[in-house]
Amino acid sequence: MKIVIVTLLFLFSWAEASFSQVAVIAHKSVPVDTINKSELLDFYTADIKKWINGDRVIVNDLKPKGEVKKIFYKFLGKTPSRMKSIWLKSMLSGEGDPPEAMKSEEEMLQKIAATPGAIGFLSHTKVNNNVKTLIVIGKK
Amino acid sequence: MCFLYLVAGEDNQIPFFRIIKMTLKRTLILCFLLLAIASAGAQSEENPLRIFGYFQNSLQQWTAFQERPKQNSFSLQQLNLLFQKDLGPSWTAFVNFEFLNNFSSSRQWGSFNLEEAWVKYRASMRFNLKFGLLVPIFNNLHEIKNRTPLLPYIIRPLAYETSFSEFIPIEVLTPVSAFAQAYGFFPAGEAKFDYAVYVGNSPNISNDPSRGQTGVDTTATFLFGGRLGLRYGDLKLGLSATYDKDNSAEDLADALNIARTELSAIPKMRFGGDLSYNFANFSFESEFIKVSLEKDAPKLERNLDFYYATLGYHFTEALFLYGSYWLLDSHAALPALPNEIKEKENDDIKVVTFGASYNMLDRVRLKVQFARIRLDEEELQLQPEMMVRRTEDDFSVFALAVSVTF
Repeated sequence: MKIVIVTLLFLFSWAEASFSQVAVIAHKSVPVDTINKSELLDFYTADIKKWINGDRVIVNDLKPKGEVKKIFYKFLGKTPSRMKSIWLKSMLSGEGDPPEAMKSEEEMLQKIAATPGAIGFLSHTKVNNNVKTLIVIGKK
Repeated sequence: MCFLYLVAGEDNQIPFFRIIKMTLKRTLILCFLLLAIASAGAQSEENPLRIFGYFQNSLQQWTAFQERPKQNSFSLQQLNLLFQKDLGPSWTAFVNFEFLNNFSSSRQWGSFNLEEAWVKYRASMRFNLKFGLLVPIFNNLHEIKNRTPLLPYIIRPLAYETSFSEFIPIEVLTPVSAFAQAYGFFPAGEAKFDYAVYVGNSPNISNDPSRGQTGVDTTATFLFGGRLGLRYGDLKLGLSATYDKDNSAEDLADALNIARTELSAIPKMRFGGDLSYNFANFSFESEFIKVSLEKDAPKLERNLDFYYATLGYHFTEALFLYGSYWLLDSHAALPALPNEIKEKENDDIKVVTFGASYNMLDRVRLKVQFARIRLDEEELQLQPEMMVRRTEDDFSVFALAVSVTF
């Protein structure tokens, strides 16, 4: 019984640790294999709208408020409300559209895998071989 | 593949080859039409016309001041309809129609304006070009002064608030529009250096039908302007400037017994500075605007100085509280006038305001604001006798509003 409890505790802590890692993923066609915070913020604030090969950057967001979204925006150094304000200003000024918000991480994965130039984020444990991982955020 | 069957009646004696020729011709025309429709349909699906916008409804209570009694008013303060279409990978067209103050043409309420209509070419982050009727980049708030969902204010800082236009010369303080603007930024590590340069009409737009076409510049001068700025993390700051020539002093010519042309095309300089910074849950933004018109002969000076500073705090993601102070200082010197009214002293408008905004949803923002306004005004009266009238007054405005993006 003790072994079962210890095992369960171990599995729970391992799962939670993995869950605190967020992967920034992109379509396999994007011309970079890694990205830093500054570049990621430039994409998400629409300061930069094209990859270095001239392809359009298609930015994606997650609709549900949760740990994954919190970790991602904390990494960018912006609150979700601040990002919404930046996107709203861009939209109302005719300078760009806000990112499309995916209803779930599964939908995010499918969208990124199917859309050339797309970039997004989700829990590290949900990444598969259909997308490219540019950076992993969070503690192990 | 299109097929067209020709059915001949009993009395139809058309030769066989003519039937084939007519059929082929009709088939080709029909195929061409179908291809054209399909192509247009595919293009419209790829780059659809987007229609969206925002509006703000407000209740405002103004206490009595000068000759005005106390007033309460609900209004559709502002509605903006926006149209946007991507014309190609680097081209965008944008149109902004604005309706103000319960607009109704039949009741002659409010106003309807074409605020913006431009096409933009984006070469890169370093170079963008806009042509058409546009709001030029000047300081921080100017570009978004009419974007009500973005502002926590119901009553905006004085230089940007049209409801005070009868005693604040808004169109003197800020450049109203431009027709061509180049802008972009240069990255340097984590910093970004912003620039913008633009050209547009001078302020001498005719609104008198008796003088010819309205809405056009009646002079041979232009407005030139620009902004240089720096963004680093949550810090943003910049310096702006414009230059044009102003005819607004021409109305003094009769009082001075000189030709109107003596007071036309007076050089006007505007300087502006903006600073905004977000730290922890606090946000701070401030601006100054300095306008100067000067002429040597006859001697004439007019200076306007505007400052505002706002400190805000995000209590939660949805709730934002702020306090703000605004000051408008106006000074005019007219030495050519008779001794007793040679120089007007400062006009001051001071405002202290507090408010809050709450995001009920991503697209619905509730606002509340209280403002205390102090007017110290000197007005030069030209008719029936030349004199300076001085008024001092305090009044308050309480406002509630809901701002919706759709």
